[in-house]
Amino acid sequence: MRWTVLRRFAISCFVALLALPATARTRPHYGGTLRVEIEGEPWQRPRGLARRMVLDGLTTMNADGTARPALAVDWKSENDNHRWQFRLRPGVHFHDGSPLTSPSVVASLNAVCGTNCPWTAIHAVGSSVVFTSDSPMPNLPELLAADEYLVALTVASDGTTPAGVVGTGPFQVTGFMNGVLMLTANDSSWQGRPFADAVELHVHRSIRDQWLDLSIGRADLVEVPVEQLRQAQQQRLTVVASPPVTLLALSVTDSGALGNPKLRAAIALAVDRSALYNVIFQKQGEVTASLLPAALTGYSFFFPTERDLNKAHELRGGLTPPPLTLAAEGDPAMQLAAQRIALNLREAGFTVQVVNAGAAQHADLFLRRLPLESSQPQAALESMLRGAGLAAPVLEQTPAGLYRIERDSLESHTLIPLLDLPRAYAVGGRIRDLHLSPDGTPQLAAASLEDAP
Amino acid sequence: MNLRQKLLLLLSLTVAAVVAAVAWTVLVRIRQVFEQRDQEETALFVSQFQREFQHRSAEVAAAVDRIAAGERVRSMAFEFVQSGDAAPYLTEAQTLAQEAQLDFLEIVGPDGNVVSSAQWPARFGYPEPAATATRTTFLKSEDLPDGTTALGLFAVRAVNRTESATEPAVHLIGGKRLDQTFLADLPVAPGMQICLYSDASPNPGQNSSASLTTAPPTSSTAAFDPKRLVGTGGAVVDAARYQSLIEAARETGQPSSGILYLTGRREDSVSATAIPLKSETEGVLAVLTVAISRSGMVAAQQHIRSIAYGVAAGGILLAILASLWIAARVSRPIEQLALAAEQVAAGNWETRVPERGHDEVSVLARSFNHMTGQLASQRDRLVQSERVAAWRELARRLAHELKNPLFPLQLTVENLVRARELPAAEFDEVFRESTQTLGMEIANLKTIIARFSDFSRMPKPQLERIDARDLVERVRSLYEGSASVAGQEEANIRFEVEVSSEPMPLSADSELLHRALSNLVLNAMDAMPKGGTLTLSAKPHGDQVELRVADTGEGLTPEECERLFTPYYTTKQHGTGLGLAIVQSVVADHAGAIAVQSRPGGGAIFVITLPKAGEAAS
Repeated sequence: MRWTVLRRFAISCFVALLALPATARTRPHYGGTLRVEIEGEPWQRPRGLARRMVLDGLTTMNADGTARPALAVDWKSENDNHRWQFRLRPGVHFHDGSPLTSPSVVASLNAVCGTNCPWTAIHAVGSSVVFTSDSPMPNLPELLAADEYLVALTVASDGTTPAGVVGTGPFQVTGFMNGVLMLTANDSSWQGRPFADAVELHVHRSIRDQWLDLSIGRADLVEVPVEQLRQAQQQRLTVVASPPVTLLALSVTDSGALGNPKLRAAIALAVDRSALYNVIFQKQGEVTASLLPAALTGYSFFFPTERDLNKAHELRGGLTPPPLTLAAEGDPAMQLAAQRIALNLREAGFTVQVVNAGAAQHADLFLRRLPLESSQPQAALESMLRGAGLAAPVLEQTPAGLYRIERDSLESHTLIPLLDLPRAYAVGGRIRDLHLSPDGTPQLAAASLEDAP
Repeated sequence: MNLRQKLLLLLSLTVAAVVAAVAWTVLVRIRQVFEQRDQEETALFVSQFQREFQHRSAEVAAAVDRIAAGERVRSMAFEFVQSGDAAPYLTEAQTLAQEAQLDFLEIVGPDGNVVSSAQWPARFGYPEPAATATRTTFLKSEDLPDGTTALGLFAVRAVNRTESATEPAVHLIGGKRLDQTFLADLPVAPGMQICLYSDASPNPGQNSSASLTTAPPTSSTAAFDPKRLVGTGGAVVDAARYQSLIEAARETGQPSSGILYLTGRREDSVSATAIPLKSETEGVLAVLTVAISRSGMVAAQQHIRSIAYGVAAGGILLAILASLWIAARVSRPIEQLALAAEQVAAGNWETRVPERGHDEVSVLARSFNHMTGQLASQRDRLVQSERVAAWRELARRLAHELKNPLFPLQLTVENLVRARELPAAEFDEVFRESTQTLGMEIANLKTIIARFSDFSRMPKPQLERIDARDLVERVRSLYEGSASVAGQEEANIRFEVEVSSEPMPLSADSELLHRALSNLVLNAMDAMPKGGTLTLSAKPHGDQVELRVADTGEGLTPEECERLFTPYYTTKQHGTGLGLAIVQSVVADHAGAIAVQSRPGGGAIFVITLPKAGEAAS
């Protein structure tokens, strides 16, 4: 009996000893340098990869799309959502040591939002920031969680303009050399020190080089363009993809030849979304004709996505508009999509020439990506409308009301939704616990390294 | 123009015409030879280029063959047929084209739709008719995403799913662009320029209405656009000059050749050939121009022409010199003959011309000399005869003139002889009358002899500068008074003088002229026995002085006027017929002329015309 007990104890101890290393492997370790490679700019808006690491917003977003406190600890609305007061978190300091104050927040927000802001005026009132507007701002806490409204120091404590980007985020900028942005952990971050000691952000790396570096262990996180997501999977890369967070849409000018709404409607009907989805974007994301993805609203199917060339011809009514120009945002997939759309429109009787992105301001058509800034439908829709230049506060709270707003907004065919696209990254073997935020940005502050000391 | 000049001109023109004709013929022949050589050279280059073109076509076909034979394409074809999903192969054509160094590559599915396109990746899903091309290589105008079209050399190959499969899984349509880079790679001889005229638009927007399918463009109806002619260095400056050749090639579908003058200078010309490049459907998609500079040939031609012109000019110069010599040799005897004839005409009958050789001219010279000899001897005989006749006439006149006084002398002498028988008183009476008669007749004889003596002793005029007005005044003062003597018959003659006021200088012997004018005045007075008007006038007439003596007598018949100045002719009962002859002699000695104007009953006017004395004479 005693031997049995002893034997059982011994076995338990042995199992416990065996389990110890396993437990150690699952626990995140502090330390190490994360090597991240991107193709574009680190501070590019929206969703430049360095922005969320260095900067914080007044609010941040939960997985369910609701806003939770960040630099602001609480907020309240008054006067039927015409006035909002956000109380700042105490004890927060920028990376240069200067304290986070309501005037610095006001200055930061005024710097990034000159026009087309959700608010009319912003004031510092004690340790609070007060937003006022002529129209109600029911979605302001969710809107402030967007990448656009991250807070950066605009004036240092000594009155000078900071040389680099200075924020309150988990990482701070320590240098930029030979195409590498060096970020180090902010030990005094209000949300706690990140696991990694530093992040090396290699910029302007081609996708091919990024994948090569990942495969040979020189990178821990690289980008995967959505059109190459399938290829990355075929190459056995560990891919982390978000739900659809980007709307691919065609902006159509309502001036000149396209001042005729029937021509714009003909363009909307002539575009073959399925070809874009199936071939160019390799069946990633989903075809859509609505602003918000179906998963967010459930009414997306009310907006027809099928191509109707005959109807397009009918709407054109034999009119031969002058040659149109179509610009697209820079990357090759967008250029290819623009060429495809130009082909589609030629079939419908339009003459379209694809021009480079530099001529986007003067182009009749502009193929663009609109970020889905929130997983809360009202805030997402308002943000989307503002981003598309169709500014209108979304006051409706019901799906039916949101549908009406979308329908009314899209009725003029100045913005033609095409695809909802995800964001994706490929991660190396030593990176652990990497998750994407609701807007598709990797949460590097929460990630740790396998081989960290 | 004299004979020598005529001969010279004729010979020179003849030689020049011959030289020019020969030079022209030589130059034309040289040009023909050069042009023939130029055409042969052009044809050779064109032939070489066509072979190179075919070689390039073969290279394209080989590249497409290599792709089609590759494992990558075979596995792609297999997977594509299995899945029917074209999405994974969107960039496949670009990769394959890059590896094979092709400008164009399209992978076309069994349904004829594009699976992947290197040149226009967005064109997937659209039909590509060229997949069913029957030729292995062909030309095609390809639409590009930027709205332009490009011309390319294409080849099409079918790729089967497996070795045993009969139906092709995909077709590969690969090609190389026909542009200035392609032209630059072609072997080009020095002085050769290769250009390509394509209906494919090099600029965005120009072919905006281009079909998405690859039907051949309506090249035959498209207007010529100089900007579409490109060479290895880009746009061709003189593109418009190729228009006729290019349009001819486009319209006929056959090569067209010609010489193009790029500027106004001949050396800036090219021998150009336009070769139509046709699509599989025989439509002319482009025209390739091969232009070979003619500067070398033109320079050689100009060099030869310069030499020819020099030789011709030298030949003509030599011909002119030879013509001069020949003309002089031929014309000299004739000129001598002409000169001799002139001398003979002038009275020098002793003239002779040299007689050389035995040709016609020498015969003519001998005949001329013989003729002048004959003329001289005949003239001598005639002079002799005339001299005899003159002596006879003189004897007759002397006999006639002397016979008249002699008869009264004879009668008077006979009366004296008979009177010796009469009483002394009567004898004395007869003697006195007879001696008076004898004296008168003897005086008459003296007068006759003095006239003849004067005629024979006409002196040479002693010229001096006088004025005709003085001459007339002297005559007027001499005879006006005698005409107005009372009791004389001449008292019925009215004397009028009309003299111009301006000077009328003469170089003359005043005494001789005075005598001649006096003679005319006395004749006029004799012509008016019943009185009348005698008009003496003098006036300048150009460079001459005209003296007139007019009477209002009975006048003269035309026959009398003709013979009036003949020596010994007289209309008077007791005239010697020498007065007017003397007057004519005096006037002739003063280089003047005398004429008479008269009609019966209308009086007579004698007009003496004398040359004015010049400044030198003064």
